[in-house]
Formats: sequence, structure tokens, C-alpha cells
Amino acid sequence: MYKYSDTDKKIITSRVKQFENQVKRRLEGKLTEEEFKPLRLMNGLYLQLHAYMLRVAIPYGELSSKQLRKIAFIADKYDRGYGHFTTRQNIQFNWPKLLDVPEILRELSSVEMHAIQTSGNCIRNISSDHLAGLTLNEIEDPRPWCEIIRKWSTFHPEFSFLPRKFKIAVIGCTEDRAAMLVHDIGLRIVERKNQVGFEVFVGGGQGRTPIIAKRIRAFLPKKDILNYLEAILTTYNQEGRRDNIYKARIKILVKELGIEKFKSLVEENFSKLSNKELEIDDKNIEEIFGFFRLPPLKSNTNQIPFKKNQEYQNWIKQNVIPHKIQGYSIVQISLKAPKKPPGDATSNQMIALAEISEKFSFSEIRVTHEQNLVLPHVSNKELFNLWNRLKIENLATSNLGLITDTICCPGMDYCALATARSIPISQKISKHFDNYLQQKEIGDLKIKISGCINACGHHHVGNIGILGLDRKGQEFYQITLGGSAKEDATIGEIVGPSFSENNLIEAIEKILNTYKKHKRNKSEDFLTVFRRIGIKEFKKDLYDNFTKKV
Amino acid sequence: MVKKLQGETFLLSANELKSGKVVFFTLKGWSSSSVEAIKIKVDEINKYEEISAKDEKKCIIISPKFVELDEEGNIKTLRDKIRNSGITIKI
Ligand code: HEM
Ligand code: SF4
Repeated sequence: MYKYSDTDKKIITSRVKQFENQVKRRLEGKLTEEEFKPLRLMNGLYLQLHAYMLRVAIPYGELSSKQLRKIAFIADKYDRGYGHFTTRQNIQFNWPKLLDVPEILRELSSVEMHAIQTSGNCIRNISSDHLAGLTLNEIEDPRPWCEIIRKWSTFHPEFSFLPRKFKIAVIGCTEDRAAMLVHDIGLRIVERKNQVGFEVFVGGGQGRTPIIAKRIRAFLPKKDILNYLEAILTTYNQEGRRDNIYKARIKILVKELGIEKFKSLVEENFSKLSNKELEIDDKNIEEIFGFFRLPPLKSNTNQIPFKKNQEYQNWIKQNVIPHKIQGYSIVQISLKAPKKPPGDATSNQMIALAEISEKFSFSEIRVTHEQNLVLPHVSNKELFNLWNRLKIENLATSNLGLITDTICCPGMDYCALATARSIPISQKISKHFDNYLQQKEIGDLKIKISGCINACGHHHVGNIGILGLDRKGQEFYQITLGGSAKEDATIGEIVGPSFSENNLIEAIEKILNTYKKHKRNKSEDFLTVFRRIGIKEFKKDLYDNFTKKV
Repeated sequence: MVKKLQGETFLLSANELKSGKVVFFTLKGWSSSSVEAIKIKVDEINKYEEISAKDEKKCIIISPKFVELDEEGNIKTLRDKIRNSGITIKI
């Protein structure tokens, strides 16, 4: 795991002091809210529907047990005993007091955490694959590259006031578990003629104009990565629109210019950058890679314990995957227990998890963009003990990748921008489809729910996407079908008129019936069937004879 | 603040600067309960705008807004209802 250098420590400590002073001046009236707002946003502090909200970065989703304990401590002391893990590998506190925020940031800095790059029109927290460094098919671990990019981007003087926010994701294999193609820049590590480099994608995004990123470079040598990013960002900074917030993201620029024209501008800027300082040499790379070595795992033949316990067996089947070192497993922890808001964890759960990770997973925890957690290195022989321990904490729900493993934004329960609630919808789904066997029969299915068109809950790329709308003061839900956030990223298609909350479950049932009717064999999943038969069949079955409940 | 106001009667609401908590304007000043909040007629809006501007300046509140009431005097929109009575889900 990355360790702060002395410079990192100094920067973070002085940033906390600076913010403390800014808060003091605000409370004394020496700064107006207008002057203060950009300053608080630079430190991750928003004002939401009920209270302030503090968004804390979890760079590339990696947490130590010490950090998780600190988050739990903050949740208990300064908040209401829980936190919300987001789709961009951050954690949000929903109730902090402005007065307490400098102290919270000080606490965070003591465990090498901060809330920088979690808001505003800067390069945001770099996100990555939660299985980085753990799988055999990976070409290279993306986390060191995230860290290299993080170092370059934090406080980059030219890129702190971009036309709009800017999100980058890096992955290390063909499989995309980080929704890389709906980021402003997506980087995939690839190998060509025995040389490792990057395939570069640009102009993806969600929000009101969802777009899948376009490939701008099939292969970029590693040493050029920062110069190339600098060239993209410079082009965006120069050409991106600042006159209209809805047209300010890089995706709009790429769309308006066309990828070829945009590429030529980038390549021109790239060729002008004789900035050797940004070229990374092997020594630098090696040094950063040193922070991300695996713990001392010894390959062995330990098998997963067999127990005559159906719940345990379901959990093994659904939530546990093999580690690249034989004899170990990767354990995925669902934060989608029935009746719980997706992505939320209580401080007690976090404290327990910190202890569990120390006992079972070399003190390491990962956060996924699907709002779940991961224990990355668990010995096979400990799996039954671990399951028992997780069960006590309500952290052993067996639903990874199934219909109740929904992604969900905070919606109108918390968010000032929402047009409808989203958490109650995910809870209705998890209540209705509670049964594991029923879920298993439906198979792999990603439902993603947003409380407004900003799409924080990724609805555009859900196999079934649900978007909350306001229709004359009533909550309505628009359904999209066929989206994907993976390597075959696709924006879902709107199926038709929206549904009231009371009709939504019936609508989902009907959609699933169409799927079941057309499924050719047991393993053909929802998305495959959708792609094969198209939206028409779903539409017909859904709207003919729909019995509306009031 | 008044730009898009519709309706006849309102409550004046805001967030407390120090804590961020939702507050309503009552005869006794800002309170976290809406029960005693003053019901404001549309033609009184200017007066209350001045009050909230002053309290913003005094660093008591931020983000003041008028909350629309329906004919029965209840808070009208779902967003304002949730803002008043809290999240609708269990943690
Ligand atoms: C304070 C609460 C929040 C506010 C004000 C907010 C605001 C926004 C806005 C305005 C957009 C649209 C950006 C655009 O189209 O240019 C957006 C997108 C997004 N937000 Fe949020 N959001 C909030 C909470 C969250 C949460 C809780 C999550 C994760 C669960 C999240 C993750 C995202 C993601 C993944 C996107 C789409 C990616 C993109 O195109 O930028 N946000 N958010
Ligand atoms: S999608 Fe809308 S409702 Fe949901 S968190 Fe984002 S801005 Fe808020």
C-alpha cells in the first residue's frame, strides 16, 4: 500500500491548517458563503438536503484496517455512526458539522487520508479495479499508475479550474471492473510486442448526456503517460466550453469535434511537450511499484472447507473468487444486505471489518465501484471461520452480481439535486427478490438506480437502469434496458413511459418474464438475451395488459 | 431567492451555518422544528428576505429558501417534506 512521503505529509498537514483557518474566517464573517463555497468544495465539503456532506477519497479503493478504524471513529464521534461508500471509491459522511470538519480532516491526515480531489472542477480521485494485483489475467497492477497520476494531478496548477470535473480510471486487464469506459479518461494497460503500455480512451461519461469513451490511442508507451495526459487535459482546458455547464465536460468536446479532430489536437500538444520532467523512468516506476507488492503469501494446496451448510455454500459460490496465489481466495463483502441502504456501513461494521481484515486478510480492505467491499487475501482454510464472523456483523449476504446487488445513489433522502428517492426502490427490490435461489435463477443482473439525471447511481449502464423522476410532484421511475459498464460498455435504451413506485416491481417482474421466456439455456444471462432479441419484445410484454396499481 | 416562487403561503427555512442543520424561522428566531414556523404570505416575502439576508450576513444561516405550503397549510413538495422530517429509510 502507498505510504506518504514527507512531502505528501507536509502538503496534507498544511492543507488541514489552511482549511481550519478558512473555516474560522467564515464563522467570524470574514469570508462570505460565496467566497467560502469553492474553498470548502476543494476539501470535499458539500451542503446537502439536511446537512453538510463530507466526501473522503479512498484512492483506487484501497484501505488499511487502521484507516477503516479511523473512518469508523469519525463516523461515531462526528457523524451518525455510519458512512456511505460511493460508485467512485469514496466514502461520504452525511451529517458533519462545519465546526468539526477541520478536526475530521486532521484525524484523516493522521492515517494518510484526505478529502482533496473529491469535488470541484479538478481531476478527481483516480479510480481503479478493486481486484487490481489479484488476478492471473492481469497484465500489470494498475494501482501504481493510479498513484503516479495522483501525484501529478493533485494541485496541478493548470488543472485545478478545468471547465468541469474530470474523472480518470485505470485498469490492468481486458475485463473492466471499474466502469473505465464511462470516465473522462480511461486507461487500460495492454501489452504489444512484449512492451507494456496503455490503451487510452477519452470522452466517456454519464450524467444527462451519457457517452461511451472513444479510443484515442491504441498504444502509448508507459514513460509517456503523464505527457499524454497533460496533452489531453491541455486540449480540454483550451477548447472545452465554460459558457454552459451542461456542455462543459470533455465528452461534449470530443463529440462536437469528432474523435479524429480531437486526437489531432492532442497529438499536436503532445508533440510540443518536450517536458522531460514528466517522462517517467524505470527507477521511478519501480519505486512506486514497491508500495504495491503482495503480502507474503505462500502458494499451497489448501482447499475451501466443505460444510453442510447451504447458506455458507451459497456465499462461497457467490461472493468468493480465487486469488492468483493458489490456496488463497478473494472475498467480496456485499453492502447490500436486505433492508439496508446500498453502500452504507455502520461504524460497528467498520470496526469489526478492520479487525477481521487484520485476522484474515493482511489488514487490507478494498472498496468497489459497485459499492461493496473486498478482503483481498484470505487463506482458503479460514473461509468458514471468516464467514461465521462476517455473518455476525450482517456482512455475509450472498448476492454479489445478482439482482439485489444494486448500485444506488443517495437520491432524495439526502441529495438536494434529486428528483425522486432511490434507496427505497433498492430496498423494495431486495425485499421482493430476497430468496437466493430465485435470484440465482434470474442469474447475473445489474440493476442501477439514480435519483436524478446526473446518474451518480450509474443507471445508464445498468442491465436494468432505474431513473427517478418528478412528474407533477409525484415520484416516477423510468426504466432503461441493456446497459453495461463493463468492457462491452453500452448505454441502456429507454423502454417506454415511466412507472410509479407502486408499479415498479411489477414492471421489473414483467421484464424478467420476457427474459426467462427467451432464455435459450441456463447460462444465458439477461444482457445476452436482451442483445439477441432487442427492446421490442420487452416493450410489448411490459406495456400490453399492464395492470396499474394506484 | 424569490425568482421561481409559486403558491400563496410559505415557511422561511435555511441551514444553520455552524452545524448545517435545517432550520425554520419562528417568532423566536431560527428553530429546528417547523411546527412554530411563521406562515408567510406571498406579499410578505420581501420582508422575510431581508431578515434572512441579515442573518446570512451575521453568519447564523446559509442557503435560505421559502418552503411552499399547500391549501391545508402543510409542506407541499416531497423534497421539502423530507428536508423537514428527515430521511425516509432506516439505517
Ligand atoms: C452531494 C451529493 C452529490 C452531488 C451534488 C452530485 C452531483 C453530481 C452531478 C451534478 C453529476 C453530473 C455531472 C455531469 O454530468 O457533468 C454527477 C455525476 C456522477 N456522480 Fe454525483 N453527486 C453527488 C453524490 C454522488 C454519489 C453519492 C455518488 C456515488 C454513489 C456519485 C457518483 C457520481 C458518478 C459516478 C457520476 C457520473 C459520472 C460522470 O459522468 O461524472 N455522486 N454527480
Ligand atoms: S444522481 Fe442525482 S439524486 Fe443521485 S446523488 Fe447524483 S445528483 Fe443526487
